[in-house]
Amino acid sequence: MSLWVDQYRPRTLDALNYHKGLSDRLKSLSASGDFPHMLFYGPSGAGKKTRISCTLRQLFGPGVEKLKIDQRIFLSPSKRKLEINLVQSNYHLEITPSEAGNFDRVVIQELLKEIAQTQQVDLGAKQRFKVVVINEADSLSRDAQAALRRTMEKYMSNMRIILCANSTSRLIAPIKSRCLLMRVAAPNEEEILDVLQSVARRAGFDLPPEAGTKIAEDSGGNLRKAVLTLEALKMQSPDLTGPLSIAKPDWELYCQKVADLIIGEQSPGRVMEVRSKFYELLSHCIPPTVILKTVAERVVDKVDDALKADIMHWAAFYEVRMRTGNKKIYHLEAWVIKVMSLYKHFFYNIDMSEFD
Amino acid sequence: MSMFVSTGLLSNTLAGSLQPKDALEFGVANGLLNPSSSHSQGTTRTSSQATLEHSPISTPSVPDLDPQSLEMNFGSTFLSNGLLLASASHNKASQNDNLDSEDFELPTVTEAFDITPGPETPSRLSTTTPIHIPRSNVRATTFDGKTIYIRRKPKIFDPAPRAASSLSARTIGNLLNVPIHRLLDQLSMTTAANLARADQEALSHSSETTTPTRDTLWVDRYRPQKFMDLVGNEKVARDAMTWLKEWDFCVFGKSKGKKRSRDGEENLNTDEFRRPKEKILLLSGPPGLGKTTLAHVVAQQAGYEVMEINASDARTGSIIDDRIRPALESGSAIGSTKPVLLVIDEVDGATGAGDSSSTFVHKLVQLILAKPRRKGRSTHNKGHNARPLLRPIICICNDHNASSLAKLRPHTYQIRFNRPADIHLVKRLKDICTIEGMKADARALSTLVGAARGDLRGCLNALQFVKTRGKDVTELVIRKATAGMKETDSTVTSVLNNLFSPLSKKRVREMGLTDEDEARYVGRLSHEVGGAGRDTAIASGCFGHYATMRRHDANLSRHEKGIEWLTTFDQFSSAMYSDGDFALIQYLPYTVVPFYPLFHERSGEKVERNQADWEHMTVTRSNEEILKSLSRCLRNATIRHGGDFRHLLSHPILQTEFAPYINRIISPPLRPVNSQVIRPQEKALMNRLVDIMASLELRFVQEKSEDGTLSYRLDPPPIDVFVTYDGKRASDITVSRYAVRHLVSLEVDNRLISRDTEFVEKGKRGKHDFFGKPSTKEDTDGEAEYPNKKAKLDTRDIADKPPTDFFGRLITIQSASSTKAADRKNVERRYRVSYKFLEGNSAAVRKPVKVNIFL
Repeated sequence: MSLWVDQYRPRTLDALNYHKGLSDRLKSLSASGDFPHMLFYGPSGAGKKTRISCTLRQLFGPGVEKLKIDQRIFLSPSKRKLEINLVQSNYHLEITPSEAGNFDRVVIQELLKEIAQTQQVDLGAKQRFKVVVINEADSLSRDAQAALRRTMEKYMSNMRIILCANSTSRLIAPIKSRCLLMRVAAPNEEEILDVLQSVARRAGFDLPPEAGTKIAEDSGGNLRKAVLTLEALKMQSPDLTGPLSIAKPDWELYCQKVADLIIGEQSPGRVMEVRSKFYELLSHCIPPTVILKTVAERVVDKVDDALKADIMHWAAFYEVRMRTGNKKIYHLEAWVIKVMSLYKHFFYNIDMSEFD
Repeated sequence: MSMFVSTGLLSNTLAGSLQPKDALEFGVANGLLNPSSSHSQGTTRTSSQATLEHSPISTPSVPDLDPQSLEMNFGSTFLSNGLLLASASHNKASQNDNLDSEDFELPTVTEAFDITPGPETPSRLSTTTPIHIPRSNVRATTFDGKTIYIRRKPKIFDPAPRAASSLSARTIGNLLNVPIHRLLDQLSMTTAANLARADQEALSHSSETTTPTRDTLWVDRYRPQKFMDLVGNEKVARDAMTWLKEWDFCVFGKSKGKKRSRDGEENLNTDEFRRPKEKILLLSGPPGLGKTTLAHVVAQQAGYEVMEINASDARTGSIIDDRIRPALESGSAIGSTKPVLLVIDEVDGATGAGDSSSTFVHKLVQLILAKPRRKGRSTHNKGHNARPLLRPIICICNDHNASSLAKLRPHTYQIRFNRPADIHLVKRLKDICTIEGMKADARALSTLVGAARGDLRGCLNALQFVKTRGKDVTELVIRKATAGMKETDSTVTSVLNNLFSPLSKKRVREMGLTDEDEARYVGRLSHEVGGAGRDTAIASGCFGHYATMRRHDANLSRHEKGIEWLTTFDQFSSAMYSDGDFALIQYLPYTVVPFYPLFHERSGEKVERNQADWEHMTVTRSNEEILKSLSRCLRNATIRHGGDFRHLLSHPILQTEFAPYINRIISPPLRPVNSQVIRPQEKALMNRLVDIMASLELRFVQEKSEDGTLSYRLDPPPIDVFVTYDGKRASDITVSRYAVRHLVSLEVDNRLISRDTEFVEKGKRGKHDFFGKPSTKEDTDGEAEYPNKKAKLDTRDIADKPPTDFFGRLITIQSASSTKAADRKNVERRYRVSYKFLEGNSAAVRKPVKVNIFL
């Protein structure tokens, strides 16, 4: 049995709870018979993948839900074996090229050509083309994106590509211009609450409104997280009575602790303390950019308005450096020291400029 | 006549170039000396010699002569005669309680230091003529009250130290406003200049009688030949000798064992062949201390013939079989009557790391451990027809911690070489200099030893190099000759320590740096960092250490700068590695050098390797593995549930959202109640839990803790690490009790079994008929139904490994369909097991055959 996230996932465009306008557009697009390449983008947990699968169902009918999952092995130029998981139906194929790391180009080239060069053999199919869904498109390497460019045009008759990304900023312009951009915004709190209530109804229990609101608030527009939280809540306190504690992911709480440490004291000793906390977070495989973002948000919440812009600026600055660098901890700590020194200067009202 | 020449010469040159004050001083000095020189034959002779020696130079025919240095030389020569001898005679007495040996020559350094009389003393002292010094011994008392007499040596005239004393005496006039080391530097520079002049003169005027150059290295010429010649740590040498002597009984038999009458007492250490407990001697230490020499000398002394294997030979495992074993078994080298002793030099470079059994070190260990059952020809002990290792082996290495030696170390008797006391080395060098006819002062030699860090071989090579240029060894010459020697190999820790603490005074002296040189840190440090070649480790060491420094940093500005450099380092290095832009490598050392001006402090604590970084890395590795196995579970669940879990698989979602929540989802508050009396609500909860766990293939695995209590642990992937921070579990997750976990695990296992059989029936009937389910697996599954935990634990292992035949193919039962149809009929399948067992015996090549093949 699956988790509620999957169990109560809408299967058709009509069943979608929010962004009705978007659903309508998708429906008319898939009816028109001249379906473009598409790029779905939006924050995590907003429902991009749900919408993609609903659209596919709209295009091809229920046959698209008969999924087959297997592994393909590709050979990198250096003869390394790359294992890629393919999720496919008769009409479409889902890949996550970032599984191959730096060699995603190989996957894109070989797999897409192979799909593109075979025509749809199923005469009963509603559409003449197949659809390739590329997940995590924003982590595609430059080479892979370049490989995608020409393929998208050349094999238009046999294949459509649906890209799914968190943001378009890491996609090269030629790709963006070849796609129809679909922004899937995060649901607001009422919409999340609606969804939670409907999930609760289908699961056969009543969700106390205050608990629902709390979950919706905590989720930060991430519906997946909200539903997971709901299920955790239901499992942990099955009768939903008494004071309910809404679980937050542990790393988030830990990040908040780190932020409090930074604000609490500014000294080399504290830097060491914060460093050990960062090590702990990193060793739990939390992506460093997520750490930086969460801590920075918390710090910004707590400091004076005059400092907020600066702190965020430096967070962004070091985040970029972190992405280009190898040793994430250096950049995290650089930001911490920067914030500490900013905070100190602000606190004692010293002008920064003479120290630079 | 000589007097006249000297004074005339002096006045000439004085008028020419000297400052008036100096001129006066020199004039006085000369005047003062005159009477004494008229009294004393020796002094006059020397002074006249000096004058005569130099007189041709002062003629205008040599235009590039520097008159000032000449006079200084002269003045010093004259003045010192009276002063030095007298003062030396005074001060020897005061110094001699430092000295143990009677004929010990005072180093020039101390002489120079002892010239303490004020400016008026020369006039007083000069009246006492050096020739009248009484020849009686100087009496002195040592600290332990022993009275020793120091024989006064007739002083051989030596211009260099005298020059030193007079010069310093002159500058001491204003009581050391220039530090003494500066004076000494100046002094040695002057001497060097003089020497250079003398050389020049020698070259330009007289075709010198060149000594026939022998074409051997000094290192070889002065290699100790006898045990008594060895210099340095006596204990090390004796230890080695003692160890070797323990072999005597084994190697030389009883006849020679007579020497070792106390053998009886030491029998405890020796085995049936009377070998020492450790069969191998491992000498380790830095280069140039004489490890190889010691091995050879000791072997020779003990009457062995040395067979040496070193880095020039191939050192793979096969060499043991091809060369070493025959030699050791025959007992003596070819063409020699002496027993053989194997010296394996530079053993740390031999193959040995890793688990392969064919490496050199591994074979060596086998050789040592060989039991008597191995056949071997015997030459000495005819009584034994089987022969284990009966000859001593000495291994030599630089780094006794080398990974390749890990296996060898337990079987060895380890002797470590340390840097011997400088005084021994200086003495030995001095002896050698005397033999070679070089004039060397002890200060110069101790500088040499310091620069070489006790490396005697390096010292000898440097000296030989010096010899090619001149006969005299002064500090300056040594400095020049050892310019490259400063760059000793630097380890990560030493580099880090240099980055975070200023140079010690001693090291400054050893390297011969002036204050400015010391202040110029960039070149020195970047060179060191680059030399260590471990930029990343150094950077991470800096990172580990810089925030622990004690120096006050009010607004964290220094820390800001420091970390800025580190991030720069990271950017450079990642650009280097990811883009292959290795031209950047030469800039990397400079990014860590700024830590010196920012953070260096005296008496800071020693910098260690950045342990936190390493620990973090190992923890991250293991957590990544857990994450990987979790994602495998999810993937399997995806396959089984028609693509349901696949959205949770993508990279950040798995660890940031799924991992924390799944832990909460699978830990509901259940009570350990029998499933018959459970409330329907709880039963639903239980069902749901079991469903989820089964679909994700999460199980509780029973394990026994150290104190014997049983507990259930979440496994295959222990995903609860993702809710455990700082060693504490999240507070809102209740750890279910043992009984609950037991209950759940039973249920989950049942669910998994029934699912598997379902799968077999549904999925594997059609085209996969050939690869039907192996019967053993089904059988164990059947067994697992019994609530026998122990059996279950065992069966899981078997179940993980499907039985394979000789070729690694899955063993399948031909009549697979019947297997699948049967679900719970364990009784029937009991027979199958025995049938399978019989088949297993002849499973080498197995294929279905028709009966008519046998007919």
